[in-house]
Amino acid sequence: MEYVASLLVLIGLYVILASSFNLIIGFGGLISIAHPIFFALGAYTVGVLSTQFGLHPVLSIVAGFVVAMLASFMLSLPSLRISGDYLLITSIGFQLGLLEIIKNLDFVGGASGLGGIPNVVQQHRSLVFAAVALGLAVAVVLGLRALVRGPYGRAIQAMRDDELAFVALGRNAMNIKITIFAVGSGLAGVAGGLYAYYYQYLTPDQFQILQSAMILTMVVVGGMGSVYGPVVGAVLLLLLPEAITFLNLPSSVMGPLQGLIFTSLVILFLFLRPQGLVPSSKRLSAGGGHE
Amino acid sequence: MKQIRRNMVVALALAATCMGWTASASAQAAAKEPLKFGLAMPLTGSQALFGADQAKAAQWAVQDINAKGGVDGHPLEMILLDTQADPRLGINAVNRLVSVDKVPVFGTAWSAVVKAVAPIANRSQVLGLSVGANSPEIAKLGDYVYTTYPLADVDVVAQARYARDTLKKERAAVLYIHNDSGVEGAKIYREAFESLGGKVVAYEAYDAQSTDYTGALLKVRTSNPDIIHVQGLVSDLPQVIAQLRQLGLKQPISTYSAGYNPKVVQQLGAAAEGLLVSALAPSAEQNPEIAEFVERWKKTEGRIPNGLPYTQYLYDMPYLIADLYSHLLKAGKPLTGANMRQALVDVAEFDLPMTGKLVVGADHRVKKPVYLFEVKNGKFEPVATVQ
Amino acid sequence: MLDFQTLLQIFWTGLANSTYAVLLAAAFALVLKVVKVWNFAQAGLMGIAYYTMYLAIQKLGWPGYAALVLGAAAAIVAALAMEVFGLQTFRRRHSPPLTFFIFTLVLSELVQYVLAMVAGTEPVSLAATIMSASYIVGGVVVSEWDLKAIAVTVVLMALLFVVMKRTRHGQYMIAAADNPHLSRLYGVNVRRVYALTFVLAAVLIAVAMYLFGTRASMVPNTPLEMMLFAVIAALLGGMGNVFGAAVAAVFLGLLRAFSILVIPSAWQSLILYALLFITILFFPQGVRVARRARKKPAANSAAAGA
Repeated sequence: MEYVASLLVLIGLYVILASSFNLIIGFGGLISIAHPIFFALGAYTVGVLSTQFGLHPVLSIVAGFVVAMLASFMLSLPSLRISGDYLLITSIGFQLGLLEIIKNLDFVGGASGLGGIPNVVQQHRSLVFAAVALGLAVAVVLGLRALVRGPYGRAIQAMRDDELAFVALGRNAMNIKITIFAVGSGLAGVAGGLYAYYYQYLTPDQFQILQSAMILTMVVVGGMGSVYGPVVGAVLLLLLPEAITFLNLPSSVMGPLQGLIFTSLVILFLFLRPQGLVPSSKRLSAGGGHE
Repeated sequence: MKQIRRNMVVALALAATCMGWTASASAQAAAKEPLKFGLAMPLTGSQALFGADQAKAAQWAVQDINAKGGVDGHPLEMILLDTQADPRLGINAVNRLVSVDKVPVFGTAWSAVVKAVAPIANRSQVLGLSVGANSPEIAKLGDYVYTTYPLADVDVVAQARYARDTLKKERAAVLYIHNDSGVEGAKIYREAFESLGGKVVAYEAYDAQSTDYTGALLKVRTSNPDIIHVQGLVSDLPQVIAQLRQLGLKQPISTYSAGYNPKVVQQLGAAAEGLLVSALAPSAEQNPEIAEFVERWKKTEGRIPNGLPYTQYLYDMPYLIADLYSHLLKAGKPLTGANMRQALVDVAEFDLPMTGKLVVGADHRVKKPVYLFEVKNGKFEPVATVQ
Repeated sequence: MLDFQTLLQIFWTGLANSTYAVLLAAAFALVLKVVKVWNFAQAGLMGIAYYTMYLAIQKLGWPGYAALVLGAAAAIVAALAMEVFGLQTFRRRHSPPLTFFIFTLVLSELVQYVLAMVAGTEPVSLAATIMSASYIVGGVVVSEWDLKAIAVTVVLMALLFVVMKRTRHGQYMIAAADNPHLSRLYGVNVRRVYALTFVLAAVLIAVAMYLFGTRASMVPNTPLEMMLFAVIAALLGGMGNVFGAAVAAVFLGLLRAFSILVIPSAWQSLILYALLFITILFFPQGVRVARRARKKPAANSAAAGA
């Protein structure tokens, strides 16, 4: 059914987003909430390239990846130079600032949004998109798993556990952080490109702080620092609201109810099960100290 | 011989009974089979104060239609989903309406949502009706997207024309909120005013989140306009007008249909005097059915509806859809989205209870008279009707 | 456009409008300084205070001051509950800073959803009418609200200064801010100090929301947007500097107000974010570095919020 397929597309996209965010915040320990802006940059890149230049979809999405990655340097280079704490605040400013710029630029549609993105799949549209989204999601998750279990993963973990010792041993923590940030953001850009082609319409409001909170919730509830955690988080947090809408509750209760359930879930998890639904294996857990 | 004849009679009788049975059974089944349509509105979120009221108006219409026998005996059924005025949720909702509930026609509102769900309507060949959104781009969203509500270029242009032709104003200042409806509406006003020979002396945007508009307002003050047009939302309109008056600007202020809201008058008190607003639906004074409608609201909800003109259009939407269904049933055509769209184009002229005559143009637009009101003694008094 | 009167008008109105931002920035900076936590739950506290006062004024018909007390009380209770049941738990567990961040942020969102469910999403104002009497002084429009807001803010900030610098509890706060472990050794009840800090912050928040609400209206998700301003001001003012944050809030407010003269109004909010970037790049310790040769408090706040 079309409806199920569209849900699958969303799941695929959010698995990519949550996993890439987990790479940044769970594995890299970089506290940034600007993930949606890279999602947006990928989407808008695809939007502009496809509507103005008619570029081939695969090329557009690759361009989205590159643009998101380059933008991440604009954020990571200045803020990481100082300290990890500042990254948080700077990321908020970066996200909102870029969104303001988008709202003011006419060639990306401004506040009215960018519409008219061409349909690139004629037959069995939703199924094709679902397959691509899920396929990419699987690739991302497996890729992350390989990364984390390999020597690079060990380096990341060493850096997070004791950065001073890490640097003293001659390793470059800054490079690793910037690379992680770039890869994670680039993947968000890819998800954005796919999103643009599927929905064919973008507005800046879809990429605000609320979106950041949603992705954060997926990662926290799913299990930060574990490879499969974000997958569980994404699936849960996408299917739960849909299930609730089928309950036919009175409308004034329904909307805030979903938000209420999620935020309560996160807080509950923070207290009772900080490692999330899927605990990471001991050696890859986030942060110092046991939880 | 007798045996065969008897058998034939029995056989004929049986056949007749069977036919009668199936006929009545199918008639019964047909009489029971509901005619569905979808409605996707913000029932929660910041726009719910309007969306929920509009949904209620539509529900009342469905009840009223069914109480009078439905559409040729078929009950009309509305499937209502929440969009929170968010494009993504709108897409979800419409996807469900189209794929799960398999409606041939749906209604929705809020420009961002309409634009977002347009591709779905076009791809799935389901008729999408925009009822209340006013972005001019809606007319160009595709074959299957039609608006039953006049787009911004109708009432904003009417305000500009009134300012130029009737009030004889030469210099206009335009203040607008920096979001999609503000930007588009302001552009339309400027084009209209200038095309009529006037001069737009100030064109300032204000941020959706700020509450201090002093800078923009001072720029307006120094430009010395004759009239000030504000393209804002019901949440910031009172503040903008209050600050305009406090800064000593005494020029008449006009706004579009968002200002036609008693809350605005209530919050501003005396400062609301002279405010010019436009509405796209006749008021209770002009049509007794509307007075009844408002009374019904007061009785059941204890207040008047938020955004009365919009609720009028939403009340009329099920009637319009009922007319489309009726047309298809009479012609014996299958009830698909494509046929719905064709029916809309073929029928084109509708006489609706709350908003009067509606003509759906081939350019996907509707033209309606604009009713202009001025605030006098705390009440909205009609001053003009612009065609 | 650049005549003196206009400039004076922009200055005055900008100043008056930065008053509630000053109080909010001070509250945020205070918690950051003493408790060493980026209190993103401040938006939730703001919402709770506001809607409590709305309930009192519009539904129960209480006079302004009574409502203000009620609003402050509600904010205090909420803040203390968060500190005692939430932050202390995480502190005991030596949770990483990320946990504090997520907890406080999500708490704000939880409050936002609860308020939306309970109070609806219509814009609500604390005052029956948002017009206040105004006078023309030297060609500049001065409204009663302006005067009230500025007076209240100045008084409150002066009180805060007195409390922090001259009272015993204030000294404890500064001691705990500089070195919690050492203060504990000297017999300072650090937990009580944290509680007091939250009480003070809650009062500032309640007053700020009262001022805001008597001039404008609000929906449940307005506080999250307003809080960003306070965060940037706290950063600009220096991470350990409450009054620096207050001054920064005034500066930012005036900057925003005056920016209309040089840039199109559509780009105004961009200024805030651009400033944030510049601050991080060039003034990571805040702008007042030259005055106080202070050890970088940022190092302390990076440690697991103890």
